[in-house]
Amino acid sequence: MKSNNKFIKIAVPVLAVLLSFLVGAILIACIGGNPAQAYQYLFKGAFGNLSNFGETVVKATPLIFTGLAATFAYKCGVFNLGAEGQFVMGACASIFVSTTFTGLNGVSLLIVSLLSGVIAGGAWGYIPGILKITRGLNEMIVSIMLNYIAILFMGFLYTGPFRDGNLPQTAAVTAKLARFVGNTRIHAGIILALVLALVLYYFLFYTSKGFQLRAVGLNQTASQFNGYPVKKLMLLSFIISGAIAGLGGSVELHGTQFRLMAGFGDGYGFDGVAIALIGQLNPVGTVVVAYLFAVLRAGATTMQVGTGLPTSVIDIIQALVIIFAVAGSAFVNLPHIRQFLANLSSKKAEEV
Amino acid sequence: MEVFLNWNFIQELILSTIRMATPILIVALAELYSERAGMVNIGLDGIMAFGALIGFLVSYSTGQPLLGVLAGAVGGIVINSVYAFCTIHLGAEQIVYGMAINIFAPAIASFLYKIKFGISSSLAQATLMQEMPIPVLSSIPVIGKLLFSHTPIIYLAYLLVPLSYVFFSKTKAGLNYKAVGEFPKAAETMGIPVVRTKYLACMICGALAGIGGAYLTTCYISTYSDGVVSGRGFIALSAVIFGRWMPGGVLLAALLFGFTDALQIRLQVLNSSTPYQLLAMIPYLCTLFVLAFFGIKKAGPAANGRPYFREER
Amino acid sequence: MEFLKMDGITKKFGNAYANKNIVLSVKEGEVHTLLGENGAGKSTLMNILIGLYQPTAGEINLRGEKVKIDTPAKAVKFGIGMVHQHFMLVEAMTVFENIILGTTKESSAFIKKEAMKKEIRELADKYGLNIELDKPITEISVGAQQRVEILKALYRGAELLILDEPTAALTDIEVIGLFQIIRKLTAEKKSVIFISHKMREVLEISDRITVLRAGETIKTLDKEQTTATELANLMIGRELVTSEYSKVIQSGENVLELDQVSFNSSSKHNGICNLSLNLYKGEVLGIAGVDGNGQSQLAQLVTGNLVPEHGTVVLKGDRVSNFVPKHFIDSNVSHIPEDRNKMGLIGNMTVKENLILKSTEKPTISYGKGGFIRKRAIKLFADQMKKKYDIRCASLDQEIRNLSGGNQQKVILARELEEVPEMLVAVHPTRGLDIGATKYVHDKIIDARDQGCGVLLISADFDEVLKLSDRIAVMFEGQILGIYSGQNPPIHEISLAMSGKESERSSSNEIK
Repeated sequence: MKSNNKFIKIAVPVLAVLLSFLVGAILIACIGGNPAQAYQYLFKGAFGNLSNFGETVVKATPLIFTGLAATFAYKCGVFNLGAEGQFVMGACASIFVSTTFTGLNGVSLLIVSLLSGVIAGGAWGYIPGILKITRGLNEMIVSIMLNYIAILFMGFLYTGPFRDGNLPQTAAVTAKLARFVGNTRIHAGIILALVLALVLYYFLFYTSKGFQLRAVGLNQTASQFNGYPVKKLMLLSFIISGAIAGLGGSVELHGTQFRLMAGFGDGYGFDGVAIALIGQLNPVGTVVVAYLFAVLRAGATTMQVGTGLPTSVIDIIQALVIIFAVAGSAFVNLPHIRQFLANLSSKKAEEV
Repeated sequence: MEVFLNWNFIQELILSTIRMATPILIVALAELYSERAGMVNIGLDGIMAFGALIGFLVSYSTGQPLLGVLAGAVGGIVINSVYAFCTIHLGAEQIVYGMAINIFAPAIASFLYKIKFGISSSLAQATLMQEMPIPVLSSIPVIGKLLFSHTPIIYLAYLLVPLSYVFFSKTKAGLNYKAVGEFPKAAETMGIPVVRTKYLACMICGALAGIGGAYLTTCYISTYSDGVVSGRGFIALSAVIFGRWMPGGVLLAALLFGFTDALQIRLQVLNSSTPYQLLAMIPYLCTLFVLAFFGIKKAGPAANGRPYFREER
Repeated sequence: MEFLKMDGITKKFGNAYANKNIVLSVKEGEVHTLLGENGAGKSTLMNILIGLYQPTAGEINLRGEKVKIDTPAKAVKFGIGMVHQHFMLVEAMTVFENIILGTTKESSAFIKKEAMKKEIRELADKYGLNIELDKPITEISVGAQQRVEILKALYRGAELLILDEPTAALTDIEVIGLFQIIRKLTAEKKSVIFISHKMREVLEISDRITVLRAGETIKTLDKEQTTATELANLMIGRELVTSEYSKVIQSGENVLELDQVSFNSSSKHNGICNLSLNLYKGEVLGIAGVDGNGQSQLAQLVTGNLVPEHGTVVLKGDRVSNFVPKHFIDSNVSHIPEDRNKMGLIGNMTVKENLILKSTEKPTISYGKGGFIRKRAIKLFADQMKKKYDIRCASLDQEIRNLSGGNQQKVILARELEEVPEMLVAVHPTRGLDIGATKYVHDKIIDARDQGCGVLLISADFDEVLKLSDRIAVMFEGQILGIYSGQNPPIHEISLAMSGKESERSSSNEIK
């Protein structure tokens, strides 16, 4: 039964991805492209050589962070749509620290700066959390509003107090995350992301606090009746979710972008949500799907150059994956479908 | 200070409040119709983006902004029927699927725009809808210019408020409609077609949200760009909560949010020394404060957001 | 003349038969009782009759003509109306709005209030249904809500009225009123299908009785030719063995004391008003009363899920100041909550996980406080529980929502009783369970009592309270109206108290 459940949890997103590629191929054919050739360029762009592969890893890093942020919040039943704002605020805090505490040397500055990102993200996640548990506000609306505020605030920073030179952008940070694979841009952030994913996985599925958190996400009333501190756990998961996204922003700043400018973090929040949902709210699944999204993003440019097809074809494929994955998950949960699948597996069990 | 008391300033402020409130009002009404049938749709932003694009394309190609708005409505319906099918028939969680729409619809919109106009960065311009002053009424001094010299969409939006009130409070169809959002099983046993009503609700929601999006590109600004909606769908969502699921309340909430939007634009024009980003935060901050202080207590339809299966045991 | 004939009705849910080849015929102007245990298929059959479910096989005839009832709207058109056990009333609307909901009598799109109200009042007077049209549903009593439901059906021109467990939520006096209404209906040639398992009432009101068991028709009998014992045996399928539990009298230590406790006291149905009571160690204190007289609130107050507005709660000699469930759980209080799916279990988690819901931080389950879970120890524990409590499931890793109600309740029992609590709060512990599972739950409760646990039993099933309780407290509108001994309890006096002694005169007026 359990293996059956696990199988479905993997089969649904895989099918969703395949289906999306199929629809994408049809779409490409419709606008006069050659699907096979397009996909060839896509994968060449993503894996063709070491530097291409490096780019996909670089692109995957921030997506893993926002995906994990979304996963962690949803596991506890709170919908954090504010990962983008938390990501941006994390980066803002890091810029502040990096340009203010110039007396510190490289590594300690980097650590302080990353920590400040964690704290800023956590604080930005605290707001919707506390408003939800004390005032009963819809956390989705609050976190979305906070996204816009954070982005405007970042805009204020790079055009105002932290502007560097004529262009609307900040100065580059001096403390940078180490690059360690040949001459690719892969930086230590990916290791942080992977370690974080593992830690979260073990926390959620192998500790009793993680158990409680998941219980709250599945049934708040029963959790309350069974003595769990429901509101505290919800607030905690919001803060941690925000902190993860904030760390992501800080890592992106110190590892890839180095400065704040228009478009920093654009779309990472919603992509994180999509990744979490497609990854079936599992930290490991999140990493895999984040990597897939990065492949699509990195390959899209090569495809555009090679075939003249717009990159937004790939955006569509990405969007279709979420449409199919969510619909698929709902479908296998329909009462009679669930019954059917349960029968299927019990028959299998009998045969064995 | 005297700039603020300037009659011209006030008049401009009122006019742009009415204009800025319109998309929020239309989309909040869309959500109202959806939630009254128990369908929470947080995909409004996405539907608006799609409506904005379709509206723009049609208006650009035909030179008829009104046709664009109509097409926006159709586009909204098409997108929202994906949501309708997956939530009503497949029983997908409404919140999750709404979010999926928020990711899916803007991607399609952006794709179609690039197909049409290529990857070039120059923005295509469409004609904006002409204002249509209402004869006689528009010549009333002061009020005439403020209230009766607008585009037809604005009249439509404000007319929808009393119409919706009458529908929900005075008609049998409205009563039946509300019963679906309150207690679908009871409604079903009373012979009310629950599933059909829910689909209808999604169609209305899609059409209105599509119009709300198309308004942005046919009546407000003459170009389409990704992110043109900028969270208005979510502001509309809060307008429904703040307006306590009543058409009149939704109108007040939309006007309030429209006012803050108008105010920040007017202030930007007047006050170039303050960084515009700080002023642009006003509508979002205001939404937060309004919600935090007035938006509490669950008052929505009792079965809001819950899936409905007739044969559930 | 035969009004309804259901022939060979079969309904499958997945692989399970809810109805198998059922035959039922109802004559014009008769009261026909459907008798059967929970899960015998009564509700499924009726949901088929009103078009909510589609039968897998079989046909329905009305006045000799074959009909297809595929939507509730069709059933309404054919003159079939149903009063569900859980009322189908929209709480946010008024009585009037609920009655006209979905009607198509008038072609006007607008609601013509006055004309419609006049028509409804005439109908109500004809059948002696006393109701206030402009009140919101939330402000009228359960008895009045039932009259609204009946009126709703009649207003739609019902010829056949299905009453599903109509007396479950009524006081004895209200039941008399309901029976008067039923007699007026049959006098007007309307047919009634009456669903109940209370023998006394069945024998009083029915003309004929059809017994269902395990989804099949067992027999249809005339009232004159049967007895309560025969019916009970047919219903259960074997000789009814009533297990008698010995009663004990305790007077020693209190495990729980409530003194002048109030919560939401202005509400008659959802509040508690100056309530005092005590629970001794090793006894079962049964709370009798019609549903919705503050029992839910009482249960939640003594498990920390609600915070009292006034008064004191003393648990094991210590005054409780911290009203959170954890405090009560840590004080060794167990709780079988009223809604097992909503409050007791997490449907998407496995059987195993639900078994350890309360003990995740215990050293046997996890290292340190909130640390790593000991997966192997949990599996061992779950296996033990499965055997000991006879939990029937394909696997312990199965999601618990796929289990039957009885097995779900066993999981709760295992979780709540395994560590011998000092106090147990059991709310409707056997609701929806069949007789076998019910007996199992009763045995376990008595076992706990005999090990020194104080049991607060809250149940709307009066027979259950009588059977298990060492003392019986009657609850009415948030207050305790009397405490009686469980040994030879004065049944008549208790049922009077259940309908509110002082208000006896006024409520009988209401029915007339």
